[in-house]
Amino acid sequence: MLSALLYLQLTSLKNVVLTRLRRLRQPKYFFGAIVGAAYFWFFFFRPIGVGARAAQFGQAAGGLPATDFAEMAAALGALAMLAYATLAWVLPTEKPGLPFSEAEAAFLFPAPLSRRKLIHFKLLSSQSRILFTSLFFTLLTKRFGSLGGSAVTHAMGWWVILSVLSLHAAGAVLTLTRLMEGGVSVRRRRGAVLGLLALAVGVTVAWVWQDLRAPTDADMAGFNPLRSYVLTVLNGGAIDWLLWPCKLVLGPFLAKDMAGFLSALGPALLILGAHYFWVMRMNVAFEEASLGVAEKRGATIAAWRAGKRLPRRTPGKGRRPPFALAGPGRAELALLWKNLLAAPGWLNPRLFVVVAGLIVAGCLILEGQPEWRAMLRLVGIGAGVAGAYILLLGPQLARQDLRGDLPNIDILKTYPLAGWQVVLGGLLAPTAILSGLLWLALLAGGLAVHLRGGPAAGALGTQLTAWVCLVLIAPPLVALQLLVPNAATVLFPGWFQSGAARGGGIDVMGQRLIFMFGQLFVLLLAMLPAGLAALVLILAFKWLIGTAAAVVLAAVAVLVILVGELWCGVWLIGVRFEKIDLSAELRA
Amino acid sequence: MIEIESLYKNYGTFAAVRGLSFAVRPGEVLGLVGPNGAGKTSTLRCLAGIIPASGGMVRIAGHDVVADPVAAKRSLAFFPDEPRLFEYLTVRQHLNFVARLYGVADHEALAQPLLEELEIAEKADELPGALSRGMKQKLAIACGLLHSPKVMFFDEPLTGLDPLGIRRMKDSILKRARDGAAIVLSSHLLHLLQEVCSHVLILKKGEKIADGTLAEVAARFSNGETGVGLEEIFIRATGGSA
Repeated sequence: MLSALLYLQLTSLKNVVLTRLRRLRQPKYFFGAIVGAAYFWFFFFRPIGVGARAAQFGQAAGGLPATDFAEMAAALGALAMLAYATLAWVLPTEKPGLPFSEAEAAFLFPAPLSRRKLIHFKLLSSQSRILFTSLFFTLLTKRFGSLGGSAVTHAMGWWVILSVLSLHAAGAVLTLTRLMEGGVSVRRRRGAVLGLLALAVGVTVAWVWQDLRAPTDADMAGFNPLRSYVLTVLNGGAIDWLLWPCKLVLGPFLAKDMAGFLSALGPALLILGAHYFWVMRMNVAFEEASLGVAEKRGATIAAWRAGKRLPRRTPGKGRRPPFALAGPGRAELALLWKNLLAAPGWLNPRLFVVVAGLIVAGCLILEGQPEWRAMLRLVGIGAGVAGAYILLLGPQLARQDLRGDLPNIDILKTYPLAGWQVVLGGLLAPTAILSGLLWLALLAGGLAVHLRGGPAAGALGTQLTAWVCLVLIAPPLVALQLLVPNAATVLFPGWFQSGAARGGGIDVMGQRLIFMFGQLFVLLLAMLPAGLAALVLILAFKWLIGTAAAVVLAAVAVLVILVGELWCGVWLIGVRFEKIDLSAELRA
Repeated sequence: MIEIESLYKNYGTFAAVRGLSFAVRPGEVLGLVGPNGAGKTSTLRCLAGIIPASGGMVRIAGHDVVADPVAAKRSLAFFPDEPRLFEYLTVRQHLNFVARLYGVADHEALAQPLLEELEIAEKADELPGALSRGMKQKLAIACGLLHSPKVMFFDEPLTGLDPLGIRRMKDSILKRARDGAAIVLSSHLLHLLQEVCSHVLILKKGEKIADGTLAEVAARFSNGETGVGLEEIFIRATGGSA
């Protein structure tokens, strides 16, 4: 019977590979594959071919001798494995099921297969994923030359780690199902698991307190003393006992050479075998719970393929609308209203006010304490980084626009709206959300600069002028950024769809990279005339009307140019939206 | 009310609709029938302005769909076979949203009787995720009817409805036709079309095989027999294949 299951796995794998190879005949996948392969080579394969450079990279990354690096990796890796195992026991709130797909559940559950065979199928099917992930992680970790070992020991090490984690998750699922069938409540189970963990942490803290020592200023003075102290804590007391099996599993991966690998492999395989024995001994009726998991998984995949958000856990009542929407009025505001309802509920004006209040209060507190005042510099840097992230990555995340509405494009096109109205209406919600976030970053940055003071900060008037100018320019800049993915949605719906709906693969990864670089290019192109105009105006007028006034003049010019570009973009995308024939695009 | 002249729709080299011409006057219900792939959905989507026609002219309530799409769309409602709803808007919020798009004043007064007629008033504050397939269909219909359209296009409107829902839907379509709306509906359920439609148009491979009142089309394919049903007419007209 297992041969049938093996046939299913191998045939599915073969078909996936063939499908992905065949789709390379389409230019969008072909070019995506070239870019994806280039990215892969540059980031993963190149360092392997240059051993000395890889080792150098590892040294630079860790800044540690090889033995210290391995010791730290063992302790932190074991801690991560322990956290994973704990979550597997704590998180499930209802009967967890072994994760079968809807098709697997439909074909296999009614088939004349024993429960043990079903579990074997699950373990077997997880192996293809584990093998692929092991290879990927091997490429990733090979960049850290300090680890030692070879590609073979790393790949096999990763296989042992991932297999143990997979078996542990399966064992936890089956055990939890049995516990729940036995009447053990979620609260009792969580209490027991977390209690055990707390006991181990408590014993360790007590040991640190009595036998070791509390951290001193010297331990906190830098990375190396801090690392040294943390390792001492993690390698002693009750935590060490808890981490011990995890360290054994990590052993083959962290081995320096083949001899070390072989000696570490034995204990690791023993743990793997013990997990296998545990899973196979669990004779639990998991099918019902697995059907529930399969249905949820199916709904999630269907939503993802349709380009929608993941289905809500409990579909039911709606949210209070962001504002009252009367019948007559600008139709674009109806799209803003709808898309704000689509945004996460916590992203509301109250949150922005509270965060703004916290920023102001926090900065004032830092300014009032001489020993903490230096932290204002960090706040300023953090605000700058956050602002850049919001501006560059925000448009990829805030998708309450045409991208979110693409599955409903048929309905959008029946509305009595011109194309530009649909595009403008779509842009409003993400622009409002991202502008709000950007303003918070500007508030933090502006306050940090002002309160920190110093000659570089300039006079209050200059600071205020620059700040107001940035606040005014932020929304059109955000909208302009959003225009790029929205333009891509209507100009290349096939590409956009393929990114959202046709699974992964190196070609799809390449497509996303092309879009990311395209967005950066368009941003630079759009900013070029505005930047040049600002430069010319400041240089020409600062002698006549002063720097502050020249900056204001330049900001107004930038604002006019950005709004003009935005309007042209909205108009052009609107025209394209009116002509778009999605059925024809997706047939191509 | 609906005028179509020489409508063409091509997907690359494939012609889905070829030179289709017909008209639907106020009060008429035209049943669009044809085998799978005959071009029914493409025709309906061209008429509703969802996809651009490759050639020909479509006028809705006197407005050219290409030259003045906004005015044309203000007069029509399109009901797809699968209800397309916004999962984060409740039933009532859907109607509120549509009211703003079509500029319907006092929409709350209009929405309530509509929800009651379609028997979804109790679900007014529910999200689509909490509705059955039939309920979703009813909500999509309520959204389409809110602005009292003069022209309606139904693509397989009875899919997913229970027998009572089907009965109500037929009554609703006939009521709107009596009130003067021009309606085009496509369905494979021929016996139901026979009960609702005043006219029928048979499509095959994108071309019109026959059109006219049910009696006229029946007379053409009955070969002198009496009491020939639409199903038999359909099979004779299409030669029993696509």
